[in-house]
Amino acid sequence: MVSRVQAVRAAARMTMKIFFADPQWIIPAIIAPFIFTLVALLLFRNETGPLLLYAVLGGGLMGMWGTTVYGSGTSITFDRFNGTMEATLAAPVPLMWIIGGRVAWNTFIGVINGGIILVIGTLWFRTGISIANPLAFTFATVVTYVSLSSFGLMLATVYVLTRQGGFIMNSLEVPVYIATGTMFPVALLPLATQPVAFILGPTWGIEAIRKAAIAGYTGLATSYWTDIGILAIETAAYFAISFYLFGRVERLAKRNGTLEEY
Amino acid sequence: MQEAGEGSSAVDVKDLRREYVTRSFLKKTTKVTAALDGISLRVARGELFGLIGPNGAGKTTTIKILTTLLSPTSGSAKILDLDINKDMYEIRRRIGIVFGGERGLYNRVTAVENLKYFADLYGVPPSEITGRVKKMIEMVGLEGRENERVEKYSRGMKQRLHIAKALIHDPELVFLDEPTIGLDPGGARDIRNMVRGMKKDGKSIFLTTHNMFEADELCDRVAVISRGKIVALDTPAGLKKSAKDISVIELQTYGADANFVQRIEKIGGVTRVVADLDSERQSIRVQTEFPTEVLPTIVGLAGDVNIIDKSIREPTLEDAYLRLVEE
Repeated sequence: MVSRVQAVRAAARMTMKIFFADPQWIIPAIIAPFIFTLVALLLFRNETGPLLLYAVLGGGLMGMWGTTVYGSGTSITFDRFNGTMEATLAAPVPLMWIIGGRVAWNTFIGVINGGIILVIGTLWFRTGISIANPLAFTFATVVTYVSLSSFGLMLATVYVLTRQGGFIMNSLEVPVYIATGTMFPVALLPLATQPVAFILGPTWGIEAIRKAAIAGYTGLATSYWTDIGILAIETAAYFAISFYLFGRVERLAKRNGTLEEY
Repeated sequence: MQEAGEGSSAVDVKDLRREYVTRSFLKKTTKVTAALDGISLRVARGELFGLIGPNGAGKTTTIKILTTLLSPTSGSAKILDLDINKDMYEIRRRIGIVFGGERGLYNRVTAVENLKYFADLYGVPPSEITGRVKKMIEMVGLEGRENERVEKYSRGMKQRLHIAKALIHDPELVFLDEPTIGLDPGGARDIRNMVRGMKKDGKSIFLTTHNMFEADELCDRVAVISRGKIVALDTPAGLKKSAKDISVIELQTYGADANFVQRIEKIGGVTRVVADLDSERQSIRVQTEFPTEVLPTIVGLAGDVNIIDKSIREPTLEDAYLRLVEE
């Protein structure tokens, strides 16, 4: 079998080239983050200091999550639309690694997206944001990036199975913003929804990012390292589930012979 | 049927079946369609093997199963002595696939970027990729245009890039799915020359085509598939020989219509009539065992139809093919 690292790298590089070849990249990378930031800052416009940073970071994660959901979908549907699905499926490497490379690039764009939100929040709205612990903040962002990639990979299996995956993904985007506490603390949500929040990686990602960025932040009753630990365990679980699901859906798609249909 | 010689084979298919099941949710009915109905064939290493048949006969299903993109319902298939179910990734690494038409390329990026991407996916060592890409670009004659986006390419250039893509990892066996479909005569000739080049390089080739001239010119052996079954398997010369008992009357006419064709079909001894009535000048081919008797009868029936040219010739592969698939 072909080197998986080589396949992941090739898929990420090709996704990047196609991304920049299409001028529409401005929409997810610049326009959408700007709108997220605008919404966040309008919601918290009368606040100053930590709460404003809380909102800007939440906007950043919304951007990262939105791009992950969009990216996991386009990583399969693009091939169907472009007529390259057969060529992708015929490669001597499991589909999961090719899709993994694509999701990795799309999630990276999400991180850039989050970074742009921070910059817009700082410069455009003159909020004067400062990060309490830049090193811990960077580390939490990297772990959250890996976690979002694994989550995106898991979601991509839905698109392998059905051509209507977009409907499911669109309906997931907003509930996840709410459930993971990007804009409002999870503690404010009804008790029944909290277990959902705890099994979603972005919940722990934003917690760790906020703890690193905001001095004196008290969110969930966990430490920074506990958040990172839970995020790492959930990320490993997402990868394991993706591995299992990709094996299953690839076999199923081969049996049904409908994967390349658009 | 003529069999491939003994020894290691490129393709070895035994009693391959593929059924498609369609379920109606509301009516709770299940419809089973047999796309392949127990086909068996063997392709020797280094052989150029053709699979011809009408639309819906099972050509694409066969090629999808042999390239491990689709599971068979039953039967067995070995590619380069590897099992399609057990050794899927190893088979994929050692074969190349050329899809017909516009499918299979990333149009927004350049030819070089496409080739580098597929070289990576097929495990070409990174240190060799640039050299391989350059060699492939030269081989298919895309020098000077290799850094343009594929969306700017003509159909013929895209098809040449398909060939380069399929050969980038130097496969032992190449599957060509209607490689000249939609190409102008010059483009089709270029592709046929490349296919000859592949064979000269020792590669085994499995070709599907609608073009009988192409099958006749290129293939060592040809299988004719109809309604999911192999109805004939022989050399092109052998297939033509099987239709030796018939002759073909070729007519070029002005003013022929469907009514005239029907009158020809009713003449005793006429076995088949193939007519192209769409253009100003019509072309009619009549298959018969008794051409010297049938031709004067046709001329007698012509009436207002102006027969500007008429001839009697030996059957071609296309005549043999039409006879086989319509039987």
